[in-house]
Amino acid sequence: MSVLSRRAAAMLVMAVCTVYFLTPLWWLFVGSTKPGGRGVGLWFDHFQLGTNLHAVLTYQDGIFLRWLVNSIGYTVGAAAIGTLLAAMCGYALAKYRFPGRETLFNIVLGGVLVPATALALPLFLLFSKAHAANTYWAVFLPSLVNPFGVYLARIYAASSVPDELLEAARIDGSGEVRSFFTVSVRLMAPALVTIFLFHFVAVWNNFLLPLIMLGNQKLFPVTLGLYTWNSQVDQRPELRGLVLVGACLSLAPMLIAFLSLQRFWRSGLGAGSLK
Amino acid sequence: MRRTLAILLLSTLSITACSSNSSSGDSSTGAAAAGCAPANGPVTLSFTSWVPDIQKVVDIWNQANPNIQVKVQTGPNGNGGTYQNFFNQLKAGNAPDLGQIEYDALPSFRVQDGLMDLGTCSDVTAAKDKFVDWTWSQVSFGEQGHVYAVPQDAGPMALFYRKDLFEKNNIKVPTTWQEYADAAVKVKAAGGYITNFSTGDPNQFAGFAWQAGAHWFTNDGTNWTVSLTDPATSKVAAYWQDLIDKKLVSAVPPWTDEWNNAYNTDKDWTWVSAVWGANTISSGAPKTSGKWAVAPMPQWTAGDQAAGDWGGSSTAVFKGSKHPYEAAKFALWLNTSTEALTALNKAASLYPAAKAGATLPALTEGVPFYGNQKIYDVFSAASAQVKPDFTWGPTMTQTYADAGDGFKAAASGTGTLLKALTDAQASTIQTLKSQSIPVKG
Amino acid sequence: MSGSRSGSRHLGAVGFFITPFVALFALFYLVPIGYAVVQSLYQVKRTGTFGPAHDVFGGLVQYRRVFSDSPFWHSVERVLLFGIVQVPVMLGVALILALLLDSGLVRGKRFFRLAFFLPYAVPGVVAAIMWGYLYSPNLSPFTALTAHVHLLGADLVLWSIANVVTWVYVGYNMLIIYAALLAIPTEIYEAARIDGAGYFRIAWSIKIPMVMPAIVLTTVFSIIGTLQLLAEPQVFRSFSTAVSSTYTPNLTVYATSSVPNFHLAAAFSVVLALATFVLSFSFLKFTQRRGVQ
Repeated sequence: MSVLSRRAAAMLVMAVCTVYFLTPLWWLFVGSTKPGGRGVGLWFDHFQLGTNLHAVLTYQDGIFLRWLVNSIGYTVGAAAIGTLLAAMCGYALAKYRFPGRETLFNIVLGGVLVPATALALPLFLLFSKAHAANTYWAVFLPSLVNPFGVYLARIYAASSVPDELLEAARIDGSGEVRSFFTVSVRLMAPALVTIFLFHFVAVWNNFLLPLIMLGNQKLFPVTLGLYTWNSQVDQRPELRGLVLVGACLSLAPMLIAFLSLQRFWRSGLGAGSLK
Repeated sequence: MRRTLAILLLSTLSITACSSNSSSGDSSTGAAAAGCAPANGPVTLSFTSWVPDIQKVVDIWNQANPNIQVKVQTGPNGNGGTYQNFFNQLKAGNAPDLGQIEYDALPSFRVQDGLMDLGTCSDVTAAKDKFVDWTWSQVSFGEQGHVYAVPQDAGPMALFYRKDLFEKNNIKVPTTWQEYADAAVKVKAAGGYITNFSTGDPNQFAGFAWQAGAHWFTNDGTNWTVSLTDPATSKVAAYWQDLIDKKLVSAVPPWTDEWNNAYNTDKDWTWVSAVWGANTISSGAPKTSGKWAVAPMPQWTAGDQAAGDWGGSSTAVFKGSKHPYEAAKFALWLNTSTEALTALNKAASLYPAAKAGATLPALTEGVPFYGNQKIYDVFSAASAQVKPDFTWGPTMTQTYADAGDGFKAAASGTGTLLKALTDAQASTIQTLKSQSIPVKG
Repeated sequence: MSGSRSGSRHLGAVGFFITPFVALFALFYLVPIGYAVVQSLYQVKRTGTFGPAHDVFGGLVQYRRVFSDSPFWHSVERVLLFGIVQVPVMLGVALILALLLDSGLVRGKRFFRLAFFLPYAVPGVVAAIMWGYLYSPNLSPFTALTAHVHLLGADLVLWSIANVVTWVYVGYNMLIIYAALLAIPTEIYEAARIDGAGYFRIAWSIKIPMVMPAIVLTTVFSIIGTLQLLAEPQVFRSFSTAVSSTYTPNLTVYATSSVPNFHLAAAFSVVLALATFVLSFSFLKFTQRRGVQ
C-alpha cells in the first residue's frame, strides 16, 4: 500500500466518523436558527438566529446570561484547582513509594463505585449542617473532587515523567515540590490538558449536584437552568425553542476552552530534555 | 491512617445524628408554632414553587405587605427533582416555609410528617367554602377540622375534539363512552385515530377511574387499603384495552414533538384531557387553530354528570415553619384573591381551585383556537362534577412508575392494562410495607 | 517503578501532594458513602396510617428486599449484556481513531480532535432532545430508516441507547488514549523504522502495548459507567414507551430514593457498588495476570 492510498484510507475513516459525530450537533445548530426551535430536517428554513438569540438572552430579564456567568464561575475555578489537586495526588501515587499507597489508590476507586444518586441526600445534609446549602460553595466545593483525574494523572505521570529526570533534579538540589512544578508539570502537559477538559465538561454539565443544593434561581448554572426551562415546556411552550438555542449557546465555552488549549497537546516533549 | 478513619467515623455519625434529630426534634418547633399566632415584627417567608413567572405574582404581594416579605425559590417541577429536594430539606431541618405540592403528592408528604396542620389557623378553616368541594377534601384528607394545604389550581377533564373533522365525516360528538368507542371505529375508517392512549400518563388514567367512581386508596386511620383493580377501574381498563387491541388508538409517547405532530397533522382527533390541555393543543398543533371544540367528558351512563381530574397543585406550609400564621395568610391570598388568581392565570394558565376563579375575565371569554367557544364554561361545570372522595396513596411516585411501566408493556402488546394495574397494586403494597405503613393485604 | 531510594525521605512532599485531594475526597465522598451504608442497615417504623416515622436498626432487612427484587436483577442482566457489546465496540473505535491521529497520516488533527470530543460536551437533556428527533419515526431527517425500523421499540431501544452512549464517549476515550500515545518517546519509532517496521507493525507491537495502561483504565471506567447507566435511559423514558422506571440498576436507585425510601435506595446502591467492584477488580486482576500492566 502506498503512502497516498494509506493517507486516503485514513482520511476516509476520519470523514465518516466526523459525519457520525457532527450530524446531531449540526441538527442542533440548524434547529436553533429556526423559529420556535421547531427543527425538522437538516437544512435551514426561515433563518432567524439573531431573533432567537435575542429571545434567549432577554427572557426573564436576562436570567440566561446570569446562568452562563454562574457556570463559568463554578467551572473554571473548580476545574483548574481540581485538576491541580488530582494531578498532584496522581503524581505522588505514580512517582513515590509510601505506606498505604495502593490502599489509597483503591479507596479512591472505591469512591467512584457508589452511584452519585445515593450520595445526594448525605451531601445535602452535610452542607445543611454547615448552613451552606443553597450557596455557591455547595456546588463549587464538591466539584473540586475528580477521582478519575487522579487515575489518569497516575498513568500519565508514570509514563511521561522519567525517574532519571527527577533524580537529576534532586542532584541539582531542587526540592520535590519544586521539581513537580518546574519539570513534571511541563512533561505532563498534554495529560493535564486532557484531565482539565474532562473535568471542565463534567462540572459544566453536572446538574444533579446543583439541583439538590440550589433553590435560588440566580445561583443556577446553565444546565440546571435549561433543565428547569425544559420542565416548564408544558405550561410555557415557547421555552422549547429557548432550550435548544440556549443549549447551542452553552456549547460555546467548551469550544473556547478547547481551542485555546490546543497548543498544549504536543508530542515528543519527554525525550528531548533528558539529553 | 487510623486517625483519618476515626475522623471519618465521627463525621459519619454526626451526620446520622443530625438527621435523626431533625425528625424527632420537630416537635419542639412544632409546638411553638402550633398556635398559629401572628408574629411581632417583620417576617420573611421562603416559598418554593415551579409555576413559571411566580415571582411576578409574589411581587404584587411583597409590594402591598412590607412586613411579610416572601422570597421565591424555584427549580424543576415536583417529580423532576423538587419533591426529592423537599424531602431532603425536611430531613435536614431547612425546608422552606411554603411549597407547591400537587394533590397526588400530598399524602406522601403527610406520611413523612412534612405538612403543618393549618386547622388551628381560623382564617384557613374559614376559607373552606371559597374552594370547590373536592379540592378541599384533597388538602384535608377528609378530616374535619384539619387542613394541610391551600388548594391552588385544578385540572377538571373534558373532551377536546376536532369539530371540523367530526362534522365533515358525519360523526356525532360522543356523550357516552359507548358512543366514543363507536366513533373510534368511524374515525379509523376515515383514516385517523380517535385519540392517543398515553402510556406515560397513569394520572390521566387515574382521572378516568376517578370519573368512573373508583377508589384506589382508602384509609380508615388504622390501615390503608390499596385497590387498583376495583370494579370501576377494571371497567375502565377493559374499555381502553379493547380500543388498544382493536388498534383504534395511537400509542405515541406524550409530551413529545411526535405527539404534537400527530395532532398537528390530523392523525388524532380528540383528547380527553384537563383544562390546561387547551394550551398544550394550541401550542403543539398550531395548524389546527379554530377547528377544535370542547364538550363534556363522555359518561358511562347516558345522562350522568361526572368528571375526573388530572393534576392540580396546592400551597402547603411545611412543618418547622416558624411563621405559620403569616405563611397561611400568604397562601390564602395567593389562592383566593382576584389579583393573585388573575396573575397566576396570566403567568401560567392556571385554572383556579377557588370558586371565584370561574368568574375571572380571562376565563369567561371565547377562545379563538377553539372556534371562539367559551371553553372554560365546560370546565367550570366539570369541576363541580368531580367526585370529592378520591384519595391518593402515600407512595404515588412508586405507583405511577409501576403502572406506567405496565401500561407501556400493554401498549407494545406484551401485557394488558389490567395486568399492569394488578402488578402495580402488588408492588404498591410491598412499597408501603417496606416503609412500615400499615396496609391490608 | 519508582526509584528505590524515594521511600521515606520524601514523605513530607508526598503529604503535600496528596493531602488536599484526599481531604476533599474524604469529606465529599467517603463521609456520604459511610452515611449511605449506615442508612442501608436501618428501616422505618411508624404507628397508624399517618403516624410519624422513626428510624430503627433493621440489620439486613433492606438487603433481603434487594435480593428478592426481580426487576432489579433483570436490570443488572440488561446492563451486563449492554456492556459486553458496547464497551469493546466503543473502545475499539476510540483506539483506532487515536492511532490514526498519531500516525501522521491525518491532516487537520486539530479539527478532528475537536469534532470527536464535542459530543461529550453535550449535556444529557439536550442529547435527549436531539436523539429523540433523530430516532423519531415521523420527524427524523432519516425517516427512510426510522419509519421502518422501530428504534425506540422494546427490541432495539437498548441498542439505540448504546449508540447514544457510544456517540458521547468515543471522543472522550480517544483523547485519553491519544494523550498516552503522545507520551511515547519518538526514538523508539525511529529504531523500529530503521529495522523496517511499517505503520501496522509499529501500531501493533509498540504503540498498543505502550498505551495498555490507558486502555485498561478506559475499560475499567467504561465498566463502571455501564453499571451506573442513568442519564441516557432516564431521558429515553420521555420518548420511548419501552424504557421502564427500573430499566437500569441506577434508575432503580433513583426511583426508590424519590418515593422517598432512602434506606432501601442505599441498600440497592451498596449492592450495585459491590457488583461494580467485583467486575472491575476481576478485570484488573485478569489484565495483571496476563502481564499487560
